[in-house]
Amino acid sequence: MRRAFVIALLVLASVPLLYGVGQLPPIGSTDNPTYTHVVPRYIQQAEEEAGAENIVTAIILNYRGYDTNGEVTVIFTALVAVLGVLMITRSDSGPSVPISPVPVSPVTRFIVRTLSPFILMFSVYMVLYGHSSPGGGFQGGTIVGALLIVLSLVTESADVQRLLPPAVKVWLQPAAVLAFGVIGIAGLLLVGSYLAFPVEGDLVFLRVPWLTVIEVGIGVGGAVIVASIFWAMEGSA
Amino acid sequence: MEGLWNNIDYAASVVLFLIGLYAVIAKGNLVKKLMGLNVMETAVFAFVMATGIVTGGDAPILGAGAHEPFANPLPQALILTGIVVALSTTALALSLIIRIYERHGTIESEDLWGVE
Amino acid sequence: MAGGQWPAVLVISPLVGAALCLIVGRWAPRAVGYFALGVFTLVSVAAGFITYTVSAVGSFSYHMGGWQPPWGIELRFDEFSVSIAVICLVGWLALMFSLHYVNHAVPEPRIPYYYALFLLCLGGMNGFAVTGDVFNMFVFLEILSLSGYALVAITGERIAELAAFKYLVMGAVSSLTILFGIGFLYALTGSLNMTDIAQRLSSVEPFPTGVAVAALTLGFCVKAALFPLHVWLPDAHAIAPSPVSAVLSGLVVKIGVLGMLRMYQVLYSARTFDLGALNTALMWLGAISIVMGAFFAMVQEDIKMMLAYSTISNIGYIFMGLGLASTFGIIGATVHIFNHAIIKATLFLGAGALIYQTGYRDLRDLRGIAKAMPVTSACIAVGAVSIVGIPPTAGFLCKWYIALGAIEAGRIFFAITLLFGALLIFVYYIRMLNAFYFTPATHPHLLQVGEVPMTMLIPIVILAVLCLVMGIFGRIPLSFIEPAVIEMLAPVGG
Repeated sequence: MRRAFVIALLVLASVPLLYGVGQLPPIGSTDNPTYTHVVPRYIQQAEEEAGAENIVTAIILNYRGYDTNGEVTVIFTALVAVLGVLMITRSDSGPSVPISPVPVSPVTRFIVRTLSPFILMFSVYMVLYGHSSPGGGFQGGTIVGALLIVLSLVTESADVQRLLPPAVKVWLQPAAVLAFGVIGIAGLLLVGSYLAFPVEGDLVFLRVPWLTVIEVGIGVGGAVIVASIFWAMEGSA
Repeated sequence: MEGLWNNIDYAASVVLFLIGLYAVIAKGNLVKKLMGLNVMETAVFAFVMATGIVTGGDAPILGAGAHEPFANPLPQALILTGIVVALSTTALALSLIIRIYERHGTIESEDLWGVE
Repeated sequence: MAGGQWPAVLVISPLVGAALCLIVGRWAPRAVGYFALGVFTLVSVAAGFITYTVSAVGSFSYHMGGWQPPWGIELRFDEFSVSIAVICLVGWLALMFSLHYVNHAVPEPRIPYYYALFLLCLGGMNGFAVTGDVFNMFVFLEILSLSGYALVAITGERIAELAAFKYLVMGAVSSLTILFGIGFLYALTGSLNMTDIAQRLSSVEPFPTGVAVAALTLGFCVKAALFPLHVWLPDAHAIAPSPVSAVLSGLVVKIGVLGMLRMYQVLYSARTFDLGALNTALMWLGAISIVMGAFFAMVQEDIKMMLAYSTISNIGYIFMGLGLASTFGIIGATVHIFNHAIIKATLFLGAGALIYQTGYRDLRDLRGIAKAMPVTSACIAVGAVSIVGIPPTAGFLCKWYIALGAIEAGRIFFAITLLFGALLIFVYYIRMLNAFYFTPATHPHLLQVGEVPMTMLIPIVILAVLCLVMGIFGRIPLSFIEPAVIEMLAPVGG
C-alpha cells in the first residue's frame, strides 16, 4: 500500500520534470548556450594559455583548478570520515581475517601478481601524460588504488599493507591537498593569485612542472586514500 | 513531444533519477537504499554529460588528427569532480552500515526503527 | 585588488590545516586540538579583514587563478558573505570548548580525526558562503555535509551511527537534487557563474527555469530542515557531541538558508519569474515549522532533543521572513541567521557543560543544578531569554523585524503566528529554567560538582555576553544588511 503511494507520487513528479526537460535546448546542437558561451575560449586558447593539449585537463587543473582543489578535499574528507567512524579503541590487532569465505585459487593469484607491474606502469603513464592524452591524476591514482585492493584480496592483506607503513601513509594520504596547497601558494607568490599559472613571460617554463606535480600529487593521494578506505573497512585500518 | 524525443537522453536520466529515489524511499534494507542513492548519482551525471553532447564531435584533445567540432569539455570536467563526490558519500555510508550491523545485528530498517 | 590575498587564506587554510591535523595527530596526539585552534585563528583573522573590507569598501571579488569569470571561478564578497564572521566566531569558540570536551565524549584514537573533520566542516562553510560559482558551491556543500555526517557518528554511542545514516541519506538526496538543478541552469544558460546566470536567465524558457528553481529549493529546504523535510534533524543534533551540535544547529542548517538567499539573489535580479507561489509556500511551511517545532520541544525530556526541536522552530521563523518577501521580513530573517547561531551555540555549549560535569542529559535528573554550576546556568538562562525574544537580548530585534515584515506585506495572520510561537517557546524554556533553579535536586550528590574547566567555561560566557551585546547593538547588523536586501529586492519593487 505504501509502495503504491510512493510510486504514484513519483509518477506524478515525473510529469513536470519530463515536460521541463523537453523544453531544454536540443541535445547535440552546436548552437546551444552550453557550447557557444564559455566553451569556445577553452577550445581555442587552452593550448597557449593553459599549456595542456587535453582541454579537459586544462579546465580541471588550470581554469577551474579551485574546483579540483575542493574535489581532492572531498575525497580526503571521506577518508577522515571513514577512519573516524570505524577506528575503535583497540589498537591494531593481529593477523587480518581473510575476506572471502572461498579460498582464492592459485590461478587467480598468479595472474594478478604477474600483471601487477604492467598495471602499475600503465597507471604511471596515465598520470604523467594526463595533459596531452586522455588520462590524468585521479584516473591513474584510482587504478593503483584498485590494484592495491585486488592484491589485498588475493594475497595476505597484511603483506600489502606493509608496503605503506603508517609513518609513510600519514604523509601520503593528504598528498593531493598538500600538493594543491604548495602549488597554489607558489602561484600566489610568483604570479599574483592563488592557483595562478604563468601565462607568458619568463616563468612560462614552470607551467608543465607545476601541472605534473599536481597530477602526481592527486594520483598518489587518490591511490593511498582508496586503499586506506578499503583497509579500514576490512578491520585493520 | 518532439522536444522530448530530441532530448531523450535527458528524459532517460530523469526516469533513472526517480527510479533511484524510489529505491531510497521504499526499500527496507540499508544497502539497497545506498544502491538507490548510487543510481540517483549516476542519473545526475548522465544528465550533466548529456548537456555536453555535440553531434559528430571529436574528443576535446588537441594534437594530430583532431578535427572540429569538439565535444564540450566543461561538463566532463564537472562530472570528474562529481564522481569523486559520489565515491566519498558511498564510502562513508558503507562505513556507517558496517558499524550499524556490528552494533545492532541487522540492516533492515523495519527492525531498526524500534531501537531509538 | 581589494582584500589582498586574504580570500585565498580564508578558504585554503582550514583545508590544508585539516590535512596536517592527521600528521600532527600521529606525532603529537595531545597537541592536535591546539594546532587546530591555531589554524582556525588564522582563518578568523582573514575573515575579520574581509568583513572590515566589505563594510568599508562594499562588495568586491577575487578571481581564483587569475582567470576572469565566467571562464574561471570567482569569489564574491558581498554583505551576505559576511556570514563568514559568524562562522568563524562560533566555530572558534566551539573548537576551544572541544579541547576538554573530546576527552569525555570521543574515543581517544579518533580525536585527531575529530579535529580534522571539524576544520573541514568550518572550512567548507566558509568556502560555500563566499563563492560566486554554482558548481563550486556544490563542491563545498559536499565538504561540509560529509564532515557533518561523520561528526554526528564519531562518538560511537547508542544511536549515533543510525542518526548519521539517516542524515546522510536525506542529505545526499538533497545534494543530488541541488546538482540536478545546477545542471538545468547550466543547460539553459551555458554558464556557471551566479551573476552571469542572472543576466542570461531573462532570455530563456520559463518552465525549465521553474523546474530548476523547484529542484534547488527542495534541496536547500532539506538542508535547512524546513517542515516536512526536517525529520533527520532531531536525532542527529541530539546525539552529536555538544560542540558539534552547536556548529550543526547554529551554522550548518543555516547553509541551506544561505543557499536559498543566493538563489533569490539570482532570481530576483533576473526578473523573469514570478516567485509568488514559492514565497507563499515558504511562508506557510515556515509558520507550520514554528508551531510544530515548539510543540515537540515542549514534550522532550532530553535537553539536547529539546534544543534540536527549538532549532526547527527558529528555522521556521527565518523561512517565514524570507517568504514574506518584504524588506523588513528578509532583513529580520537574515539577521536572525546570525543571532540564532550565537544563541543556539550558547545553549548547546551550556548543555554540553552540564552533561560533561554531571553525566545526565535528562531534565528530570538535572533539577537544581543551578546551585552547583551557577555560571553555566546563568549563561543558559541568558540564552533562553534571548531565544524567546525579550528585549534587550539578541532574539528580540530580528523577530520584531519579521513581524513588521508580515504587517508590511499585509499578512497579519503571520505576525500573530510569530507571537504565538514566541509564547510557546517561552513555555518550554521557562520549564527548563524552573527545573534548574527552583526545584530541589533529584540527585543530591550533584550539588558537589563544580564548574567546568576554563577552556570550556570561557566560550559559554563569551557567547552569553554576545547574546546581550547583539541585542543592545542590534541596529548595527540590521543596517549593515539593509543595503544588500534593498538591492536584491529592487527589481521586483521590494
